[in-house]
Amino acid sequence: MLCLAARAIADERGVAIPHGTVELLSEQESIQPGHAIHLGLHFRLEKGWHVYWINPGDSGEPPQLEWHLPAGLRAGAIEWPAPSRLPIPPLMDYGYEGEVLLPASIKNTSGLAAGEEVALTAGMKAIVCRDVCIPAKANLSLSLPVRAEQPRESTATLAMFSAARKALPKAAPASWRPSARDLGDRFELRVNTGQSVSEAWFAPLDPLQIENAAPQKSVSTAAGVRLILKKSDQLLKPVSRLWGLLVLPQGAYLIDAPVRPAPAKRPNKEQ
Amino acid sequence: MKRGFAYVVPLVLMALSTAALAARVGESAPNFTAIDSNGKAHTLAAYHGKFVVLEWHNQGCPYTQKHYNSGNMERLQKEWTQKGVVWLTVISSAPGTQGYVTAEQENDYLRRMNAAPTAALLDPNGDLGHLYSAKTTPHLFIINPDGVLIYDGAIDDKPTPDPADIATSRNYVSLALAEAMSGKPVSTPTSRPYGCSVKYAH
Repeated sequence: MLCLAARAIADERGVAIPHGTVELLSEQESIQPGHAIHLGLHFRLEKGWHVYWINPGDSGEPPQLEWHLPAGLRAGAIEWPAPSRLPIPPLMDYGYEGEVLLPASIKNTSGLAAGEEVALTAGMKAIVCRDVCIPAKANLSLSLPVRAEQPRESTATLAMFSAARKALPKAAPASWRPSARDLGDRFELRVNTGQSVSEAWFAPLDPLQIENAAPQKSVSTAAGVRLILKKSDQLLKPVSRLWGLLVLPQGAYLIDAPVRPAPAKRPNKEQ
Repeated sequence: MKRGFAYVVPLVLMALSTAALAARVGESAPNFTAIDSNGKAHTLAAYHGKFVVLEWHNQGCPYTQKHYNSGNMERLQKEWTQKGVVWLTVISSAPGTQGYVTAEQENDYLRRMNAAPTAALLDPNGDLGHLYSAKTTPHLFIINPDGVLIYDGAIDDKPTPDPADIATSRNYVSLALAEAMSGKPVSTPTSRPYGCSVKYAH
């Protein structure tokens, strides 16, 4: 118990980075061989400072983890909760201000034996920004006992993990049938959510498809929602799919919408 | 009293030619006139017949420091200006923001870093930055001898502030210049520029 208490205190402090702290947290108190370990990269930043989403937008870059794990264990990719829009006119970034937990799981634990203690370590790189940016590096580690029985959830982190999971994008229901049209300098994205939508925006997962800072016009339709998205000035070729998140008040949904090509231009049409 | 009316329309336009008003690869690059750190004016149209590189810069930005403290940017400037390229470093940081410099401070910096651009353009109002929609430092543009924009994007394919990543990176600027000079199409004409946001006035 003493050992657990000491670890809890260490966890609470985290590793200092510019304008905040970062730490690895576990959702459970032990590892059960054959079951995934649910971890999270937890940032706490001073007011006004942020880290970035997997597509950071016009500037910045997402946090990265380089895992050093005992032989056999395999780390899954970071899972990215829906970001906030971070306007820095004339630019637009996507990220997380203040506090965020980015889930990541460790798999292939069947080779572990009950009774051992496993150290999970990772090198973390990030850029922490307000109006200016400061690179951050930290060596993070967490050690967990391996036990045969089903692990208890850690009371210290349970609420944080369940909130983070709720913020992860969900697969869009098949009935939503997202589709897009190429309108020359804009895309029109339609999603049949089946109910009126008070507020919606599209967070692109491809960095070169839409102009991040351009206002997105969202229209609630009988079938759902229609969004007008300005094409990126850097987009030189037609795209076949629009890929990103539809962010609604109740949550974010993964959208992969086929794009119908632009109507054929009349020969005398400008541009 | 109305006689003079037509003459008092304020001439607030920048020195724009008939070229396009947005910077888009494959189109004429917007013309501009800007003043360098030695007080000399540079007009894009005057460099017709040459390749021109525009490099957005902020000496306080960690991504800019990655390429300057390692000597990477200075090496590129020397290599390409020796091959006849006009290399214009552009500073669009507004007064009071990170990277803003006076002409004297910029000249000190260029000497200290042994940097070798053709000129460093001072753009504290952000006019040139907005004209090209420059987003980050660094953000690079290449204009060909016909005045057409042929590259808009990052310096390379490793979007980190870590100088150790330079050795294994693919430099998009050198690649585009080499391809264009040998008459080939530019294989990567756009990429997401990475770095710090340009510190425009708000």
